[in-house]
Amino acid sequence: MEILLKFVNEDLLADSQEKVAPDTALFDEGRIDSLKILRLIAFLEVRSGKKIPDELVVMDRFRTIETIAKNFPDR
Amino acid sequence: MNILNSRASTVPHHDFLISHDGLLSPGPAETRLIHVLRSRFREMALAAGAEERQFPTVIAEEILDRSEYFQSFPQFASAVNSPNKTGKYFLSPAVCYHCYQLLMNSALAGDTLLTCEGRCFRAESTNDCHLWEFTMTEVVFLGENGFVRAQCDAWKQRIARWAAHLGLTVNLAPAKDPFFVGETRGKKLLQQIKGLKYELTAPGVSGKDIPVASFNLHERFFTSRFAVTLTGGEPAYSGCVAFGIERWCMALLAQHGVNEALRRVEESHDLR
Repeated sequence: MEILLKFVNEDLLADSQEKVAPDTALFDEGRIDSLKILRLIAFLEVRSGKKIPDELVVMDRFRTIETIAKNFPDR
Repeated sequence: MNILNSRASTVPHHDFLISHDGLLSPGPAETRLIHVLRSRFREMALAAGAEERQFPTVIAEEILDRSEYFQSFPQFASAVNSPNKTGKYFLSPAVCYHCYQLLMNSALAGDTLLTCEGRCFRAESTNDCHLWEFTMTEVVFLGENGFVRAQCDAWKQRIARWAAHLGLTVNLAPAKDPFFVGETRGKKLLQQIKGLKYELTAPGVSGKDIPVASFNLHERFFTSRFAVTLTGGEPAYSGCVAFGIERWCMALLAQHGVNEALRRVEESHDLR
């Protein structure tokens, strides 16, 4: 989860003053836009070694860093 | 387009001709059903407190461009010539874009509800449910986030109850739009993850579900592009509900036949 948190704060949100915690609601306040969601998915696919089908990209699996780490564990 | 070059009616026993170019020529009873449906949606919108507006059937390229329409649906726009050849125009693909233009560079006095109906055009591959030209009634809500979300939820419930009252089998679910490509795949996934777009579907003629209404939360997408703010100066939130009139007609014809459909819609009332 630490690697994912680092990626989100230092890469994905590099242009933002505000950083997120593991339990921050990622999709509030427009933090993640349409390009960032694709970069996040690409990052998770590389880490997990598995393609993430579009139908799995739902709030229950992507609400926070904690939720994502639980649903898409590293290989 | 050759209207005489129509394929046989796709609704058995109904006069509901759709040309190869996706242009509909309904018979008298079906025309009446379309008119009654338009009246019912209009009445519901006015009863909800919406201010009614009328807009042109054509729309300036600048409005669609500002709405990023060409980025998401470049293949659907139908261009038309203006008499003075001074600007580029398209046949409107939706009515609500006009509302954001209407409110451009303004601060809302408060929560705002607008309703409008118009002929819309989308050059999709035509089939039994995708017409090139169709009628759309929309209710657009603008204001605080809470107001917009509450309106969207209220319309979902109102229309689901009304459909049940009509004896129409419907299903409300997150929208699945298969036409997004490239960066717009990101838009589609963001829409999906945030639950921004829901569609109400009903079985059509072929038995396959067709969308008859959509319930959309835009967040600050349109209001930031058209500079529509709250009184404090921050961008407002917006959302809309859209009804495809001919789709409702198709679903009702498929499930009830024209006479029963007419009776049910004429006898129906708003179920707020």
